[in-house]
Amino acid sequence: MPKRLAPALVAGLAAVAPSGAAADARVFACEPEWAALAGEIGGDNVTVYSATHGRQDAHYIRARPSLIAQVRRADIVFCSGAELEVGWLPVLMERGARQVVQPGQPGHLMAADHVEVMERPERIDRSLGDIHPSGNPHVHLDPLNIARLAVELAGRLARVDPGNAAAYRARLADFEARWAVATKRWRVRAEGLRGMKVVVHHAAWVYLIGWTGLDRVARLERISGVPPTASHLQGLVQRVRTTGAAAILLAPHDPGDAADWLSQRTGVPVIELPFTVGGQDEAGDLFALYDVTLALLEKARDRS
Amino acid sequence: MRKGTGMGRLALSALLGAMLSAEAAAQSSSAPSAAALAAEIDSLKRDYEARLKALESQLSSLKAQTKGAASKPAASARPAQDNAFNPAIGIVLDGKYASFSAEESSIPGFAIGHESERAPEGLSLGHSEVTFSGNIDDKFRGGLTLGLGAHPGEATEVELEEAYVQTLPGVGLMEGMRVKAGRALWTFGYLNEQHAHGDDFADRPLPYRAFLDNAFNDDGVEVSVVLPTEVYAELGGGLFRGDDTPFGGSDNGLRARSLYARVGWDMGRDAAVRVGGYLLDGKSRSRGGGGDGHGHEEAEHEDEHEEEEEHANGDEDEDEHGDELAAFFSNGSFTGNSRLFGIDFRFAMAPTGNARQSELIFQAEYFWRKEDGTYMLVEEEGGEEHIEEFKTDSIAHGWYVQGVYKPVPSWRIGARYARLSPPDDAGIEHDPYAFGMMVDWSNSEFGRVRLQYNHEALDGHEKDNQIVLQYVMSLGAHAAHSF
Repeated sequence: MPKRLAPALVAGLAAVAPSGAAADARVFACEPEWAALAGEIGGDNVTVYSATHGRQDAHYIRARPSLIAQVRRADIVFCSGAELEVGWLPVLMERGARQVVQPGQPGHLMAADHVEVMERPERIDRSLGDIHPSGNPHVHLDPLNIARLAVELAGRLARVDPGNAAAYRARLADFEARWAVATKRWRVRAEGLRGMKVVVHHAAWVYLIGWTGLDRVARLERISGVPPTASHLQGLVQRVRTTGAAAILLAPHDPGDAADWLSQRTGVPVIELPFTVGGQDEAGDLFALYDVTLALLEKARDRS
Repeated sequence: MRKGTGMGRLALSALLGAMLSAEAAAQSSSAPSAAALAAEIDSLKRDYEARLKALESQLSSLKAQTKGAASKPAASARPAQDNAFNPAIGIVLDGKYASFSAEESSIPGFAIGHESERAPEGLSLGHSEVTFSGNIDDKFRGGLTLGLGAHPGEATEVELEEAYVQTLPGVGLMEGMRVKAGRALWTFGYLNEQHAHGDDFADRPLPYRAFLDNAFNDDGVEVSVVLPTEVYAELGGGLFRGDDTPFGGSDNGLRARSLYARVGWDMGRDAAVRVGGYLLDGKSRSRGGGGDGHGHEEAEHEDEHEEEEEHANGDEDEDEHGDELAAFFSNGSFTGNSRLFGIDFRFAMAPTGNARQSELIFQAEYFWRKEDGTYMLVEEEGGEEHIEEFKTDSIAHGWYVQGVYKPVPSWRIGARYARLSPPDDAGIEHDPYAFGMMVDWSNSEFGRVRLQYNHEALDGHEKDNQIVLQYVMSLGAHAAHSF
């Protein structure tokens, strides 16, 4: 039977394989922010697929059949890396078995490999929760990291789709200019937020905190990936009352119960930030993501 | 990586400059302040470049430091010791408390092997597992799973559950193709590929117990291809020894083969579905009851039990005849052809998009088996042993449906119903069925405690109410979950 099986499979493949006329590069982005960036740099020369949407937690995604099918056809897999997608991306890579997107290939782009990663743990143990041995993977909330990845992505696109290299470079130049102007503006606004005390749910905000100079006074998740315990929350009430805080920051995918509980006891308002593109309706692209985030933080500052 | 960045940076500088001057030229005709704007952008650009440069020099000086003295824990690179290339090791610990209302449990018309027996009563260890896996080189990956079966009163049994090599995409086969060889949990239905500790219930559903002795992990080779289509579509097939249930006693080591196809797609943003069809076909020669060489022990044991029952119940002649026939299927050894066909369906939905928070999973499988051959049974009459034969050309089938709902991150509840139709020429009137309910709690992805209630009516005489309390915990490397 195996003698008959192989030709049958090949014949089956030939029947369904696309005719190869579509010259566009296909980008498989693990998170919406990278999909948005791929859209900026690739424009209409790329087809972008986002594995997750703005209200999903990229730590915990099922390796759905549709994702395998998308990786199977991708020219670039663009993800955060640093083990953020460790629970599902390896399955997609293995089952999709697409050669150009495997590690080491030009189609394999992990954001964390191209920026300075923060919070690299010194000790690795499961009792510390779902930690990332390579450091904090939520690198997209620092505009400098976005700029670096734009450059890297344009180079990768030019390699996997050399025919459109000029177009990618032109769009990169355009994006860089707009991003540089916007970054300057954001830095000015961030000056006004320096030292503002915030409570966070998950350690998803370190990069934002890094460049804005926010002051993280407490974290609801004592251990990453494990829901906050009652005793830990009880302790936080005291700490937050002592230090004071302007806001409890929540991503759209964070469960709100612990934050609400703390808010009721301390009077500190809960602010849901978009976290990623599409996390709120107004955060429709990367520029809007930063604009909305800063506006919400400023509002919280003015109220406190 | 460094090279890529450098190239990109060059391109950036060149093009940024070109683009900016073009823009400035375009604007100079309409806006008087264009020059000022260009100067502003230029200064921004310089600003930005300067920051990038500063960061990069910081980075390289950090790297230089690391190279010099690798003693500080924060900055030290991992030393290249011998164990740097150790495979990933994962351990699964599984323990149970079980309580049953019926003393014995068997499924008339089906051979129940060691794997698919009811758990021991009281406290016991289930299947502990040790898994090693890793990349062999750029083209191959390998894995080994040892199952440690602790059956009370017996020596601990080490079973080689998996020992396989498989191709990595770098091997240069057709895109989307994978070849796996050795012993593995092969593709058949939904559960067969999964390690049992990942199941949603403490025991496998009836069709898996009756037709596969929990799982088909014969020695063999399997090829699979994911097609380059918008909808997920996978085709595959394999060739196997034919030594594991539903086969046994392979005479030339090439007695079974498989074919399968499955498709999957998203239903909206937060739900997905997968459907598959599977065929497993092969020949058996003297396949013992259970198929793993445990046949004889089991057979004798069951014989005694059935005699007792017949005396106790004083059944009618017709019934006795039926039981005799059933004994061929439960305890006899089978020589002939088996063909097993399966369909699986799985639907998963996360109402908020986050399966971590809340999720609903619905799953169903249907198995159909045709057996064409001879069952042989050793009978004792008046101190003399003689062999009885029964020629069969029978169809048996079974199915289960289950739903599992996670209302909050740590808790899940589930229900399952399973039913079997025994071989149609075995003279068994009763269709075995089982109903189960479970609730489980997970502190993290790696630890789970489960309480399950089963109501089983397998043999038409006695109903078995079961309570199982189970923990399943894993430490070390943890394989990513498939859909």
